[in-house]
Amino acid sequence: MTFYEGEIKRIKNTVYSNQGQLDTVIGTRHHINSNFDIDLNLNLLSHFRFVSKFHLLRLFKKYYGQTPKQYLTETRIEKSKEYLKKGMSITETCFAIGFESPCSFSTLFKNRTGRTPAEFKKEQLSQSRFNADVETLQLLNQKFKQ
Amino acid sequence: MKARIISIPVQDQEKALSFYTGKLGFVKKIDIPLSEDSRWLTVVSKDEQDGPEVLLEPSPGHFEPAKIYQKALFDAGIPYTQFDVDNVQQEYERLVSTGVEFSIKPTEMGPVKIAVFNDTCGNNIQIVEML
Repeated sequence: MTFYEGEIKRIKNTVYSNQGQLDTVIGTRHHINSNFDIDLNLNLLSHFRFVSKFHLLRLFKKYYGQTPKQYLTETRIEKSKEYLKKGMSITETCFAIGFESPCSFSTLFKNRTGRTPAEFKKEQLSQSRFNADVETLQLLNQKFKQ
Repeated sequence: MKARIISIPVQDQEKALSFYTGKLGFVKKIDIPLSEDSRWLTVVSKDEQDGPEVLLEPSPGHFEPAKIYQKALFDAGIPYTQFDVDNVQQEYERLVSTGVEFSIKPTEMGPVKIAVFNDTCGNNIQIVEML
């Protein structure tokens, strides 16, 4: 057995031995993943898993290193990038990820990614044009070789 | 300050490029010759081509302590770095079918599932799925 295998066994037995707690946090994460587009809060999440909200907050932070709220925000930002890349408008994206105001969405997006949703969209557009140009050049090059 | 590049020491850059693109599915992004036997060579995830770049650096061949450190990590089974995947079991089966060797088969580890393979360039690499 390598040193790393030994460490994995040790950590599994000491840190991750409580399957009930793991089921609770994993279930909560899945619930957030499937319901990021609605008004989720700690009360709803704790009712869903039949645990107190303070207990859930502690457990989630213990296993994932961030609060459910932080995880929800991260999930929403990642989803919004996906939607913007697909060509969805900023307002549509804002509502599709569970935000109520495009303004607060834009502010948060800029905070997390360093650019506004509009700047992000513009960047994606120029990137896809550049990729299309490269593909065309490659095709022309192949034809030229033939 | 931004984190844009992670580097992985590799014993042979050409072999590494072939493994990371051919087997793992990364895409070559930057390839600049620096000297006769070294290049600034990066690959990126196919789905995130504007995301972080993986620098395949030839340090073990140029700097003895890097070679010693890489070997010590490898012998202890410790992954040099890790990549996220959607499904560890599926990725494990796909890579095994292409001849990749695993030192740790898919294993649940609390809220994640992991597996560790040999990148044939001197490193163990871990793949991770959040459960």
